[in-house]
Parts: sequence; structure tokens; C-alpha cells
Amino acid sequence: MRTMSTNLTRRSVLQLGGLAGIALAAGCSSGPPAGAATWAMWSSSAAEKKVWEDFGKYVEQQLGVKSVATLTPSSGYPTKLDLQLVSGTASLVTALNGTLIPTYAARGAHRQLDDLIAADPDFKLDDFYETSRKISGFNGKTYAIGFDVAPTVMYYNKDLLKKQGIPLPSRTEPMSWATFRDLAKQLTKPGEQYGFTCAPAIDDLVSWIYCAGGNVMSADASRSALGDPEAMEALQFVIDLFVKDKVTPPIKNLVTESSLSNFMQGNVAFMQNGPWQVVNARKAKFDWDIIPFPAGANGSTPRVSGSSFAIPSGVREGAELDLAWKLLKTLTSTGALDIYAKAGRNNPARLSAGSAFRPPPDNLGIVQDILAGKVAGGHAFDVTTNWNQVKQLLGQDLPRTFLGQVGVPEAINGLTPRLDVLMRQHLDTVRQATARKG
Amino acid sequence: MAISTADTAPVTTAPAPARQAPPPRWRSREALTAWLFILPSLVGFLIFTAGPVVAAGVISLLNWNLFSAPTWAGLHNFARLGPDPTFWSALGSTAYFTLVSVPLTILVSLLLALLLNQGLKRIAVFRSLLLLPYATITVAVAFVWIWLYIPHDGLVNAVLGWFGINGPAWLISDTWAMPALILMSVWKSFGFGMVVFLAGLQAIPQQLYEAGRVDGTSPWKSFRHITLPMLSPALFFVIVTSVIGSFQVFDQALIMTNGGPGTRTTTLVMYIYRTGFENYDQGYAAAQSLVLFAFIVLITATQFMFQRKLVHYDN
Repeated sequence: MRTMSTNLTRRSVLQLGGLAGIALAAGCSSGPPAGAATWAMWSSSAAEKKVWEDFGKYVEQQLGVKSVATLTPSSGYPTKLDLQLVSGTASLVTALNGTLIPTYAARGAHRQLDDLIAADPDFKLDDFYETSRKISGFNGKTYAIGFDVAPTVMYYNKDLLKKQGIPLPSRTEPMSWATFRDLAKQLTKPGEQYGFTCAPAIDDLVSWIYCAGGNVMSADASRSALGDPEAMEALQFVIDLFVKDKVTPPIKNLVTESSLSNFMQGNVAFMQNGPWQVVNARKAKFDWDIIPFPAGANGSTPRVSGSSFAIPSGVREGAELDLAWKLLKTLTSTGALDIYAKAGRNNPARLSAGSAFRPPPDNLGIVQDILAGKVAGGHAFDVTTNWNQVKQLLGQDLPRTFLGQVGVPEAINGLTPRLDVLMRQHLDTVRQATARKG
Repeated sequence: MAISTADTAPVTTAPAPARQAPPPRWRSREALTAWLFILPSLVGFLIFTAGPVVAAGVISLLNWNLFSAPTWAGLHNFARLGPDPTFWSALGSTAYFTLVSVPLTILVSLLLALLLNQGLKRIAVFRSLLLLPYATITVAVAFVWIWLYIPHDGLVNAVLGWFGINGPAWLISDTWAMPALILMSVWKSFGFGMVVFLAGLQAIPQQLYEAGRVDGTSPWKSFRHITLPMLSPALFFVIVTSVIGSFQVFDQALIMTNGGPGTRTTTLVMYIYRTGFENYDQGYAAAQSLVLFAFIVLITATQFMFQRKLVHYDN
């Protein structure tokens, strides 16, 4: 009886082990079906997921193959993409934030697309905004095709301005920095109401730096340019808004600080942000609109940023590459970008899909006018092949200036030697990429 | 009658049937069964622990950006550590975190274990409640503590305000960001030590205390000469695991301060992660992680050396 019980137990254990093995093997071997159109994208909300599902349906309808999208929350997207690229399990097409295109391109993670574009008479690159094309390229070659592109603008709370009896700003003419500062001060009631909000980070600071005629790096990217007078003027102007004029809501935590959530409280007059936040700002319980970014010495030339789709280098020539190119074209086609723009996600990168990005807010049309050069202006986000490192360095030292813990000159003097080292590393990477290409 | 031995056949001992040598211990049935049971863990250890350690050793000798073919770097990645201020600052921050958080955690755990060992009613309920922070995911706890630390409206500063103390802007202050992380980490991890200490306390024979009482020992002397020596194996275990854990601190620093302000709360593991997966410098990240590994091994070995003098085992 005892033996029998032992045998049964062993058998059960073996059976369970066998079942677990089969399940494990099945799990390991599960993947997209052969011939499927696989693509990777970030997605952090249900609304965003819905847009990508609609993209999937559109792809299936256009290509007649199954669409398999790998959606990952935006914060974890680059890490997941890296691991997929390294392990050879990346999708045929992957979305890339414009700031990381040089990083991936320089390391050979994605293939350049010029040969595919040249061989495809149906594909018109001219239909994409010039800034989108610039963002999607590296070292004179096209590595990605844009799906959105937009300049930074200034959101404003119309109700708050009206309540204070302040005339609404021009819808097309950028105000000067001095006017902006006066307005922000006028609209601030300490502890109750604030004139302005932006993120205490380089992503927002660059718009002011470009407007002052400066940049993060020199024209040849051989050295840091943050210490140049133009950049210093811009940095000091913004930091003064925080520390001296105190027209911004107090910073409670550098990690969770969000200009959008500050603005949505309804007690902040101006918010610096991109049109990609229009979809969220529509939930505001007050009347609001957007205007061009305030003009500095160099005019109103804020950061223009965007995102694109690219093909990993691991995609094999032949049928796989053919499908990848067809998929890339479909995901960036006017039809797909219509879906994207109609959902209000952001301004589409294609001129022909522009009409789908509609109000509210009333003045949404300036986004395309700015990109077309009809109103104010913009400056493509200049980045290096080691932009993560540059951002990390600036993210360590610059936020302390917003808190008044260190002055702007002290912070810039402290970080410039390290930034110069990163610039030299960037140039080395570009040289290596050029040599590889040659 | 004499017996001639010459006529008698020589007495020879019949050869004993050859004794079969027992199989070596490692081939015995028991050993094979043991190996079978160990096998899943062993395979897991080799693939997921030993393998990566060896791989890190190899990668530390390479220049590798993940995407291109790696190239030989020799010891260059180790040489880069010397002049890298962020590495030393991260090492300093990690050491600060360890030196303060480990003693504090042990003190709190021990005090609570002693309290719970007083034969309170519903001790299981208290024990479970006090263990909750340890059982909760660090990421969730970190977000709750961000709100607790908010400068003006946060609970921590509100409580300090009741005593007339104007609390600092914890997570953005040069001085207070690391203590804020330490406080949260102590709260998060004291439950583990508490449970281990409580088990240790409950295993101390009561006769020792009774003998002490007969001799008229004070409660303090009883704690000093009975409880502490008898609890020393548990104490040693908690110290070793806490030091190793604190050297690997990562998630709370990443979520609550992202290493700031400046590099005040950038820990070594955070810096390794950034180097490897944000800066794509796998070789340098591997070199850093081997140095961290060496530090942990050195400290743990030192602790084991002191164990012989300070830890009391029954046997």
C-alpha cells in the first residue's frame, strides 16, 4: 500500500514535470505567425492603445497579412527595443523617438532607407515636413520615416487672463520675452496662482536656448555651447522665472514634476508644451488655447520634435525586407496618419494628412503654419549619437539651478568639461559610423 | 604422539569471495536522488547566476555597444573607473546608504521583535501588520513615500509642523534626499529582520532566563548576556543579507529621486544600469558590476571572519 502510494506520487510528479516542460516549450516557441507584419510601438494609455489597434486594422486591410503590434509603455520602450534588437527578435518595423535616431543609426542597429526609397517610385518623401526628414536622418542618410512632428508652443488659460482683465495675446505674432515675463509676473499670486509652468529639464530649456540663438553643442558638435552668451542668457531667463520672479508653481519633486498637471489645475496662466498634449488638455475644465512660443533675440524658434518608424538592420534582404518596407510605408501613409491625427495624438508628419489634425483648440492651425514657415518659426531638435548620456549629465546638474541650489554660471562651468568629453565621444562615433559606411 | 606437520597438507586459507567495493559516495542511490532534487536549482543557478557572472567577466574586457560586434578592450574598462567622478560619487552614496540604513534597520527590527516577544495577545496580527511593508512592492511604496515627502502638504512635514519644525524639501534637498531614501528603506525592510529575530528569540531556552532570575540578573544584563549571544546567529544572518541588499539598492532611488539632486542619490547599481542600458557601454558597466561584486565579497568575507569571535552557536 505504502509502495503503491510512493509510485503514484512519483508518477504524478513525472506527469506534472512533463506537462510543465510541454507548457514551457510551447511558451518559448510562441511568436508571431510567419509572414505577419510585426511592428513595435510605445503605448501608455487606453486611448493610445486604441489608435494603434486601428493602425493594425488598417495595415491588415492594406497589406492583406496579419498585423502584430508589440505595445510597450513609453518609459520601458527603449530598453525592450534594445533587448529585442540584440537578441534578433525585433519587429520588422520599430517606432523611434527622434532624439534617439542618431543613437541607433550610428551603432548600426537600424538600416538606412535611401536604397529602398530610390527603388520605390510610389513613395514620395517630399510629402513629409522638412523638419521630420531632418529628424529622421543621420550623417546625410535617411534612417526612418516620420509619423509625427510638431513645434513647442505656449498653452494659455484664457479664463485666467480674462478674469485678470488682461487682453488675450496675438494668435500669430509671438510676444517678446520681456512681455512674457511681465505677463507671468502680473498673473502670479504666490501660493494661489502662477504665471508659467515648464519641466525643469533640458527638453524644455532648449526651446529658450534656440530662441536666444544658442544651442547645446557647437555647430560642428565638437564642444558644448551651453556656456556661450546666447545659451547663458536663455538659461538665466528661465531660471529667473523660477527662482527670482517665482512665477512658477513650487517644485515638489524633480521626478514627478509635470507641467501638464500644473496647468490642468486651472491656476497656471501659461504652459510650455507640444501639440501632443492637446489630447490631454482637452480634458481641462477651463477655456484654453495655444499661441506661438515667445520670441527671443533669434525670434520664435522653439524646439521641433517628432517620432518615426525605422527598419532594424537584422531584417533579412528578400521577402522579409520587402514586407518590412511595405509595412513602413503603410504605417506612415496618409491613411494611417489620418487615423493618428483624427484621434488628436499629434500633428502628422505628412503634409497630406495635416487636415485631419483639427481643433479644438481654436488656434491649432498655427502648428502647421509654424512648420510651413508661415508663422513664427522652429528649430529641429539637435541631438548627438550619445544623447542619453548628454541628457543624463544635464539632468543631474541643471535641475539644481531651478531649485536655486546653484547658480546658472556655476552649474554650466561644472558640467562643461564633462559635456565636452561627450561631444568628442559623439564625433568619434560619427567617424566610426562614416568609416563603416565607407 | 607427535604429530608431524610434514605429512599434513599445508593449511591454506581458502580465498574469501572477492568483496565488492561499495560504489563511490557520489554514485550511491541516495546521492543520485539528492542530485536529482538539486538539479533544477543547480541548472537555474548555472544559467541565471554563475553564467552571467562569467559573462560579465568576459564582457568587462570588451568594448560593446550591444548592436555592433564587440572589440577587445583588455583592462581599459577597469582603468576608466579611476578618473570617473560619477563612479566614485555613486560608490560613496551607496556606502553612505549602507552605513546608515543597515544599523537602523537592524535596530528597529530587533526592538520590534523584542516587543512582539513579550507574549502580547494577537501577536500574529501585529506580526502580519508589521511584515506588510516588506511584502509590498518597492515601486508602489516609493510612490506613496513621494507623496509623504511633498514639501508643504506632505504628511511627514505636517507631522514635523505639529512640533514647530519646518520640514525640508526632502527629495530635492542636497542634504536630506539620501536620509529620506534611507528612512523609506528602513520602513520597507525592517519586517524581514523582525521575523528572523522573533524566530531566534522564541528558540532561546527559557531556563537560561530563569537561571538568570535566580542569580538576580537585571533585565539589561539578561539581554546583554543571554539574549544577544543566543540571538547572534540570527543577527549575523540579518547583517550579512542586509549589507548585500543595501549595496544593491536601486528601485527606490530611481523612482523617488532619479539619482538627484545632482548625483546625491545615484547609487552604484543605478549607475551600472545607466551605463549599460542607457549609454550602451556594456563593457564599462560589466567592469563596474565586477568591482561592486568584489566589494560585496570582501565585506562579506570580513563579516565571516568576525563571525568566529562574535557569533555564538549552540554546538
